[in-house]
Amino acid sequence: MAAFSGMRGIASVPTYVVMQPTTLCNLDCTYCYLPLRGADRRMPAEVATAVAGAVNAWAATGRFSVVWHGGEPLAAGREHFASLLAPFDEGVEHHIQTNATLIDDAWCDFFAEHQIRVSISVDGPRERNADRVTRGGRPSYDRIMHGIEALRRHGIDFSALCVVAQPAPGLANELYDYFLDLGCDVLGINIEELEGVNARSNARDPAAVTAFWAELVAAWRRAPRIHIREVEWSLRYAAAVLDGTADDVLPRQLDPIPTVGYDGSVVLLSPELAGFSHPHYGDFTSGNVLSTPLPEIIANAADRTTWIAEFLAGVEACRTSCAYFGFCGGAHAANRYFEHGRFDGTETDHCRNSKMRLLEGVLDHARDHEPSPA
Amino acid sequence: MPETTSRRQPDAVLDPVAERVHEARTGLTALLAEAAEARRQRSETADGGSDSGAVCAWNHFENIPTFYNWNNRPR
Repeated sequence: MAAFSGMRGIASVPTYVVMQPTTLCNLDCTYCYLPLRGADRRMPAEVATAVAGAVNAWAATGRFSVVWHGGEPLAAGREHFASLLAPFDEGVEHHIQTNATLIDDAWCDFFAEHQIRVSISVDGPRERNADRVTRGGRPSYDRIMHGIEALRRHGIDFSALCVVAQPAPGLANELYDYFLDLGCDVLGINIEELEGVNARSNARDPAAVTAFWAELVAAWRRAPRIHIREVEWSLRYAAAVLDGTADDVLPRQLDPIPTVGYDGSVVLLSPELAGFSHPHYGDFTSGNVLSTPLPEIIANAADRTTWIAEFLAGVEACRTSCAYFGFCGGAHAANRYFEHGRFDGTETDHCRNSKMRLLEGVLDHARDHEPSPA
Repeated sequence: MPETTSRRQPDAVLDPVAERVHEARTGLTALLAEAAEARRQRSETADGGSDSGAVCAWNHFENIPTFYNWNNRPR
C-alpha cells in the first residue's frame, strides 16, 4: 500500500474556529446530533474576546475564519451576535451555518454590514425535509424558503448543506436540479450519520451509495454551475493520483478545528463531541479560553487530552490499514467515537458512505463515460 | 549471484485505489477537463495553495473554508 505522509500530528495553528453563540435551536430535526439544542445558553462577550485575542493574531498573517454554528446561531439575536463579533479585527472572515428560518431583511442587512458569508441547511425539495421540524413537530420548509427568499432579495450569495437519509436511484438528479434552481454557489452533501444524540444507524447498501454518488457526478456534469464539495474533492484526488502527486493532497498535519462552546470550553477536531461526556474520556474538552489562551490549549491537547492521544493512534492505524487514506486522511473522531465507542478504531460507516463509496462512485462514472472516439 | 529478474513495482501501482484511478484514466481526463472549464467559467483562479500548517492546497474555491477541510466537516 502507498505510504502517505500527511496528517501527522495536530497543527499548532487552525484554519478556522467554530463558535457556538447559543446552544438553542428553534428547530428540532430528528437527525440532529446536538444535545443541548432545547436550552438557550448564550455565549458571553468575554468568551468571544478571549478567542479574538488568538484569532486576530492568526488573521494578521493569513486568511482566517470564524464559523458561527449552533444551536441555531441566529437564535442568539442580532444585538447579542453583534457583541460577539465586536472583538474580532476586520481581516477575520465570518461564516454562519444556519437553518435559514429566522433570516429576514434585518438579518440580511446584518450579514451585509458584517460581511458574513452564509451557508444554509436544507435537504432538498419540500417532501425531503420531513426530518426538519419545529419544536412543535411541524414542517419547517416554508420558513426555510422564506429565509432563502430574503437572501435572494438582498443579492446575498449562499452555500447549502444537504443531509441525505436514504440514497436511492433518481435522488441525486432530483437534489442537484433542486439546488441549481435554489441558486446556491456551493453544495455539500452529508449522508446521515450515527452521531451525538442521533442513534439512527447509518449502515447503507454499498451499491446504492456508490450509485448515488455516480449519479450526482452525472447530474453535475450536465450543468456544472455549482461546486459540489464531494465531487471537487474526489476529482482533486483523482487528478493528483494521475499526475503522481497523490501524497501532496492531505495537509501535513491535522487541522485542530477548535470548537468554542457557549461557556468558553474548547473541543478540538470534532465539533460534534461538544456537550457530551464519558466516564473514561470526560467531557472531551481540552481547556477553556476564559482561563487558558487558545494556542496553549491546542499545543498541549495531544499530551493532556486522553481521547486525542487515542485518536492520533487511530489515524496511524488508518494510515497503515486503509487504501483510501490518501484521499480521506483518517476516520473522523466523532464518527469513531459514536460508532465504535472509542477513538483508535478505523473504518466507520461514515468512511464507507462519504469517502470510500464516494470515490468509487466518481470512478464508476468516469469509467462508464469515456469520451466517444472522434 | 543470480540476476534479479523481477522488479518491485512502485507503491502507487500496488495501491488498489490508485490502480482503480488509473484504470479510469480516459474517462477521468475528460471529466477533469470539464471541471477545470467549469471553474474557469465561474471566474475562479487557483492560488496554488500552500501545504504549510494545516492549510489544504487546492482551496481555490475556498469561500466556505469549512467545507473543504477534509479531516472534519460541518454537519
